[in-house]
Amino acid sequence: MTGDRTKATTEGAASAMLDAVAGWPAEKMASLMVESTPYSVALGFRYVSSSPGFGSIMLPWRADLVGLDGTDILASGAVTALIDHTCGLAIMAYFGTRAAPATLDLRVDHMRPAAAGASVIASAHCYKVTRSIAFLRAEAWDVSRDDPVATAQAAFTLNRRETR
Amino acid sequence: MSDAPDLNRLLAGSPFALYLAIEATVDAVGVLATLPARDSLVGNVSLPALHGGAIAAFLEIACLLQIAHETGTAIPARTIDFSVEYLWPARPEATFARARIRRLGRRVATVHAEAWQRDVNAPVCLAQCHLRLPSRVTGAATGTGTVTG
Repeated sequence: MTGDRTKATTEGAASAMLDAVAGWPAEKMASLMVESTPYSVALGFRYVSSSPGFGSIMLPWRADLVGLDGTDILASGAVTALIDHTCGLAIMAYFGTRAAPATLDLRVDHMRPAAAGASVIASAHCYKVTRSIAFLRAEAWDVSRDDPVATAQAAFTLNRRETR
Repeated sequence: MSDAPDLNRLLAGSPFALYLAIEATVDAVGVLATLPARDSLVGNVSLPALHGGAIAAFLEIACLLQIAHETGTAIPARTIDFSVEYLWPARPEATFARARIRRLGRRVATVHAEAWQRDVNAPVCLAQCHLRLPSRVTGAATGTGTVTG
């Protein structure tokens, strides 16, 4: 009972939030997704850019995100999170509040370690959208986009909201 | 088994594993890794659910720990590729993981892992990865956990 009420309250709050941002452009929603998601804030993600179906986020280098002591190289797990979030951003920049995307699967190929002390930028491109699924490719790089540290492929469920 | 490295020392050698506050214990099955819940790991505040990226990193570390445990080396393997599937949203509560080495070659290992929360039989997330083994274990690995065929 209590659980149900809590859930209803949460849903109510979420829908009030949606109403409040309903008129916002998708790009503003997209940057909000980087600046307000707790894990994104905790890892220090910085919104770079977005346009419908595209998104870029930067992971500034930080000592506590290093994978192995003494290497000064950002952990591959931190880059995976960056890529996942960037894919979400690309979808958000396309759909705004009309979808609530969730990752179905994500595959990351680690081409090489990032440079010591280097920040990493990820860019994602949503190249196909169906009624319920978005397909994306993404890459992450430190110095040049032509020499990625990681490339990725992902599928997201869109959870489209019915238009009223 | 007796020469298996101290997993907590391995975790302490990774700032990011420390940041995630991952814990590890060893039992008869293998390494059991735990990711304690924390507000900062949330990726969806309206569900709420843990961020997929946090679970993925946790599973990757579980795979690396299992390799270290079975090959008896403290030198970490390197991730070549990592593939993750999300079955259910992970609630903001303790998450557990186990990894299983499916193939232990001389240079490359294939490892599968899964994460669950309240029910070990209802995984929230599955992962599989290829890991590049450190050259020092090359040829010395016994592969107690490998599956043949």
